[in-house]
Amino acid sequence: MRTHIFLMLLVAGALCSVQPAQAHHAFAAEYDVTKPLTLNGIITKVDWENPHSWIYMDVKDPKGAVKHWTIETAAPSQMSRYGLKKADFVEGMTATVKGYQGKKDPVLANGRTLILKDGRSFYIGSVGGPNDGAMPH
Amino acid sequence: MVPTFTWLEGLAWTTALRESPYGYPLLETAHVACIVVFAGLVIMMDLRLVGLAFTQAPVAHIQRRLFAWQMATFVPSTATGILLFCVDPLRYYRNVLFLAKLAFLALAGLNALVFHLKTYRRAEGWDEDPQVIAMGRLAGAASLLLWSLTIVSGRLIPNNWFK
Repeated sequence: MRTHIFLMLLVAGALCSVQPAQAHHAFAAEYDVTKPLTLNGIITKVDWENPHSWIYMDVKDPKGAVKHWTIETAAPSQMSRYGLKKADFVEGMTATVKGYQGKKDPVLANGRTLILKDGRSFYIGSVGGPNDGAMPH
Repeated sequence: MVPTFTWLEGLAWTTALRESPYGYPLLETAHVACIVVFAGLVIMMDLRLVGLAFTQAPVAHIQRRLFAWQMATFVPSTATGILLFCVDPLRYYRNVLFLAKLAFLALAGLNALVFHLKTYRRAEGWDEDPQVIAMGRLAGAASLLLWSLTIVSGRLIPNNWFK
């Protein structure tokens, strides 16, 4: 009996030590919460797919050089929930994305908010991102 | 292999599933749900073999009751797994954790095969022993370890470490 209780405590302890930040959507592993950014540019391609979608954007840096950004976003089901549709994207359209920069890859970002040219704004953040108010209530 | 995977990824039905708001999450859920039930059934048999559960029941009784259910959950687990791979083959084929999962799965299958074809064939002698023969205990312990490793590495696939 005593061994059973000991084993149960051991298992419970092991479960508690699992860090939620390192879970599937590992925002903290890939993206830097201290580096928020706003990207204004041209959408060249969108991969509207599971488990996460991707927006590819050409953005001019302060010196005027065009950088090819890759932006990770939520799954289609999550973005649809906030009203965004695959058809809202047209290749070559201008848009603004707010998000966070990648830790290792300087032209990788985690998208939080997408603002289209017509002024409509959508939450595109994936699960596990920072509690920064981007997600509508 | 890459041309085959590119072709597979470009098919209408894999594309539709990859982009679907409900189909893909449902497929993922079905995959995990089947694995959960399958693993639970396998663990009960393994615990009997290592001598931690049902030690008063003959191994054959447990085996006979669980086997059909194990197969009935293993088949849809595998089918949904193959479908998930087909939806995004280029993302998985060189993911180290995906390959590790396949390796552990193969070893777990091999362990089960050896147990059923060799050890269990001669179960008459030890079937009712609370502590079964060493080969039986070893098969149970190996099964617990290998299925656990299969599930853990599968769970870690999306983290895509060592890319």
